[in-house]
Amino acid sequence: MKLGIDIGGTFTDFVLFDDNSNKLYFAKTLTTYPDPTVGIFNGVKELEDKFGFPVKNIDGIVHGTTLVTNAVIERKGAKTAFITTKGFEDVLEIGREMRYDIYDIFLTMPKPLVPRNLRMGISERVDIQGNIVTPMDEGALKDLAETLKQNGIEAVGVCLLNSFANTGHEQAIGKYLAKHVPNMYYSLSSEIMPEIREYERSSATAMNAYVQPITDKYLKDFETQLMASGFEGNINIMISSGRLTTIDGARKSPIHLLESGPAGGAMAGVFFGKHLEEDNLLCFDMGGTTAKACVIYEGQPEITNHFEAGRVKRFKKGSGLPVRIPVIDLIEIGAGGGSIARVNNIGLLTVGPDSASSDPGPACYNLGGENPTVTDADLVLGYLNADYFLGGEMNLSIEAARQAIETKLAKPLGISIEEAALGVHKIVNENMANAARVHVLEKGMDPRHFNMIGFGGAGPVHSFGVAKLLNVNKLIIPVGAGVTSALGFLVSPVASEKIHSHISELNSLDWNEVNTFLADMETDGYGFLANSGIDEKDATVKRVVEMRYYGQGHEITIELPEGLLSENDLEEIKRRFIKEYEFRYNRSIEGMHMEMVTWRVVVQGPIPEMKVEQFSTSKGNEEGYKGTRKVFFEETGYLDCPVYDRYALQPNEKFDGPAIIEETESTTVVGINSAVQVDADKNILIDLHH
Amino acid sequence: MLHTATTFDPIALSILWSRLISIVDEAGTTLQRTSFSTVTRESNDFAVVLMDRKGRSIAQSSVSVPSFLGVLPILTKALLKDYFPEDTWKEGDVVMTNDPWLCAGHKPDIGIVSPIFYKESLIGFIGTIAHSPDMGGQLWGAGTRDLYEEGLMVPPTKLIAEGKPNETLFNILEHNVRAADQTIGDIRAQVAANDQGIKSLMKLMEENDLIDLQDLADAVINASEKAMREALSAAPDGSYNYAYDTDGDGLGEGCHFEITITIKGDEIVADYTGTSGAHYMSINAVLNYAFAYTAYPIKCAFSPDVPNNDGSFYPITVTAPEGCLVNAQKPSPLGARNVTGNMLHSVVFGALAKAVPNQVQSDCGSACWCIVLNGEHKGKEFVEYFFLNGGYGARPNMDGEHVLSFPTNVANVPIEVLETDVAVLVTEKSLVPNSAGDGEYRGGLGQRFSFKNIGDKPINVSMVAEKTVTSAKGILEGKDGQMGSVKIIPEREFPSKGLGKLHPGEELILTLPGGAGYGNPSNRDQGAIEQDKILGYIS
Repeated sequence: MKLGIDIGGTFTDFVLFDDNSNKLYFAKTLTTYPDPTVGIFNGVKELEDKFGFPVKNIDGIVHGTTLVTNAVIERKGAKTAFITTKGFEDVLEIGREMRYDIYDIFLTMPKPLVPRNLRMGISERVDIQGNIVTPMDEGALKDLAETLKQNGIEAVGVCLLNSFANTGHEQAIGKYLAKHVPNMYYSLSSEIMPEIREYERSSATAMNAYVQPITDKYLKDFETQLMASGFEGNINIMISSGRLTTIDGARKSPIHLLESGPAGGAMAGVFFGKHLEEDNLLCFDMGGTTAKACVIYEGQPEITNHFEAGRVKRFKKGSGLPVRIPVIDLIEIGAGGGSIARVNNIGLLTVGPDSASSDPGPACYNLGGENPTVTDADLVLGYLNADYFLGGEMNLSIEAARQAIETKLAKPLGISIEEAALGVHKIVNENMANAARVHVLEKGMDPRHFNMIGFGGAGPVHSFGVAKLLNVNKLIIPVGAGVTSALGFLVSPVASEKIHSHISELNSLDWNEVNTFLADMETDGYGFLANSGIDEKDATVKRVVEMRYYGQGHEITIELPEGLLSENDLEEIKRRFIKEYEFRYNRSIEGMHMEMVTWRVVVQGPIPEMKVEQFSTSKGNEEGYKGTRKVFFEETGYLDCPVYDRYALQPNEKFDGPAIIEETESTTVVGINSAVQVDADKNILIDLHH
Repeated sequence: MLHTATTFDPIALSILWSRLISIVDEAGTTLQRTSFSTVTRESNDFAVVLMDRKGRSIAQSSVSVPSFLGVLPILTKALLKDYFPEDTWKEGDVVMTNDPWLCAGHKPDIGIVSPIFYKESLIGFIGTIAHSPDMGGQLWGAGTRDLYEEGLMVPPTKLIAEGKPNETLFNILEHNVRAADQTIGDIRAQVAANDQGIKSLMKLMEENDLIDLQDLADAVINASEKAMREALSAAPDGSYNYAYDTDGDGLGEGCHFEITITIKGDEIVADYTGTSGAHYMSINAVLNYAFAYTAYPIKCAFSPDVPNNDGSFYPITVTAPEGCLVNAQKPSPLGARNVTGNMLHSVVFGALAKAVPNQVQSDCGSACWCIVLNGEHKGKEFVEYFFLNGGYGARPNMDGEHVLSFPTNVANVPIEVLETDVAVLVTEKSLVPNSAGDGEYRGGLGQRFSFKNIGDKPINVSMVAEKTVTSAKGILEGKDGQMGSVKIIPEREFPSKGLGKLHPGEELILTLPGGAGYGNPSNRDQGAIEQDKILGYIS
């Protein structure tokens, strides 16, 4: 029996998989502040009370949390210091010197996580080849350690120039600190992100140090309390790459938790894709404040190393702190249900990027919000049920929604309330489809070759509209669409990823050296899996290299041939590079040398098997059809639209759109000219070209 | 007057407009990811603009260099008027030019324009400008004596005609530039970016049943124009003067700028009468380029939120006497004209501070310093460009940011990338305490960047530094920022502009100027001063 627990900003989601009955059980509780473990145990108790599963029966727990992301956004990390090569203390603050918005002279850049007075230089220098130019001033370490103690520093990041080429000095600092300031946390850049580009590496290292104490404390509490409650199983933590790490791994590199929740959603997409035999899927995940998209190509999510945390301006690339860690390539394609709609200064209707969040929230929450939001528009159009929001736990005011839309949008534009509401719904869909389309195209793919899977609280409300804009044929709203991330946790593999920077032209590589470091990385990976009780024979190994044409600055990732590498593999590596380059950029460059930059070895355990059938309390003789209500569609205006109860839908049940399908955590909107089919596991499959 | 209302409703227009912008952004990403030039790939020195069939800009890439964005529509209109009239374009054509007077003001910037055909009719153009790795001639910088030392000039020529590459032109390029495969690689990347934009636009046309781009172009252009005009109308009418001096050669032959900005109703005229004549160094700007860098701060001050296109420029007129520093004529050398262009925001904001003091910022520690290193490393010749920025000017309600690019927008080259490419060891990169101008809001700090030649051969250094004998000027009683400096160890003369040699073992120490303050320093918040002291920004 396995339990996935996902802590989000508003809700904590639980998915329990009982491998005896092959059934899934869901629960949702409010996230509790300041101690989120309270919410966790509320949920665990709910699972026991409702379904009779005591915690001691659970064999494994997989956990993900927004803790790290929030600490960075809200600047609630530890008191952190930063050690660099002397003369380079300000690299972390200077960044790349570029503005993220060219016309806004009032812009502000993100403040560094470590202020200037806590950044310290040490006399040492290594050159780009890793040769020591200036030996480290070991005597200075003593003073440095003293300063850290006196300032009450809880964590320190260490990033020396060219440390990816020679880790010696950083290791020496780490050893010294471990011995002389034993209660302080430290993060070394050569362990966190051993890659070229000092600012990006510094940024990741500082962030890791900044969030380490709180993550460590939280995970310790989490583990202790679980043990105390009788849990005897194994705990894994979801990380941004869609893989699982151990509690120890998470405590050491907490920045890998940055995107744990969304990565869980993507892994659920992989799982449903495999289950439904859909190799190419576009995942669409829309919650209260953010909508994200991700591509699953040939059954695999794309992984990127470009990521930014804590943006000071929403959706603006470059306004956050860069973290080059492996992250499932999820892009933020828009705001969520709370996004505010307005008429701008040139008379156009626009939506977002700012959000009414949960306080005061959309106008229809009746908590003092006066601005019309996406949720208000969805309510006015009849897509949401005012009496069945969150399964009826919250009442929505349609009058308040109509009034906000009328005052702020319809009157200024001289159109009806419904037209304005539809405008909001359409613009938000269009913006998301747009961003998703660019995302897919940037990978050299065609969005029309993808089917879509939609989830998240607001995802099923908007999926149909977005899918239509992207010319997608088939839309899947999976079982548990409101708790998908936690479900994804249960189908993610335990894995380790080792990174090695070794820049060399392809033709002049020393293959012995390459084979040696690749083998070491692989051995490390097996060791990591062994700690989670996974045998070497069940592991799969993926070795990739990031390479480019000599002289370029952006690399593309190529999978290396298997086994010991030698000059005999040159042609094959070139072929793979050219193939990938042409796939991405529609051309290749003849006769140009190629260069290898970063090598990665992923050693991965097996992907857990799971059935998707949801445990249902309905007796099976209830009708899925609940009657009709007035719903507004672009093509028809208001019409009497059939409404269904998702829990009472029967396997293989079929009906045509338009339709509204309600479940506790979400509502699926099905537009006209479409056909709905419920599959054997109660996933909803929508054919858009009916 | 509201063409918008008759053709596209506010919802449809909002949707299509953001789609146009994402089309050019996507093309920009392709260009950046496939280019070789560090200037393009690390520093974003490129732009992509989508235009209608009259050459009016409709949408532009979001993170780009303002000057390029302003220049592309001017170039395309000139191509249509004087070189390739509307009815002569064929599907599959691509035109290239680096003529500074038509394009971006100096030869390394290559403009590539492709026509867009839809259902066999010309509906518009897409253009890119990117800084090429090399165009031959002397090493790029401020030291050239005339235009002819600045390398190859390609007048508007079909690089590709109806899909067929112009082998003669490729051949000429190949034999005239250093690192030919990279330069040609980047030109091809520009063509590919244009193609990508065309492909995406085709989809937009099909999906929205558009026949051509004209109605949509009119709608977005009118909307941007309207926003600009409304903002100008709200500003007080009048004439506002400002005078400003810059380094010039840094040895006594400086540059003097004078501007008179006249706001009347919903129009604005900037006139540079009184500005000094063409300089002997290659820091002269052509009028196109001066227009772009004058219109840019005006756009920032009056209509920053509305997406930019041709309409934003219609209410703006820029005039300058022929032959002066900002309206250079042949054969004035232009190589480092960016130094001059980068100063125009200072002049424009200085004058506008008298009209709309809450919509401007104080002077930045610009121009952006450009350094080119040329020599041999691991048996290969290298030409490495890198950039350094000074402090940002203070704003009416907040301090300036430290070390931030303005008005251009170029990133630095990472130290570790620089050390990979060139035989140098960087010895310092840090903020310079006390370098910002004080004020009710202070400027941002400048930076120090030092490096040593650790190879066994001299490195040619082309320096384009600024504000080594002048400084960023404060606004409304704000104080000036600190000057920058160029020093070499062991100590000897080293030019702040022009060519120098860095011998093995020598160290170059570059100190970039701080940004200026805004408002009277006696009004500065005491807490902010304390905070600056704690952080060591001031001592």
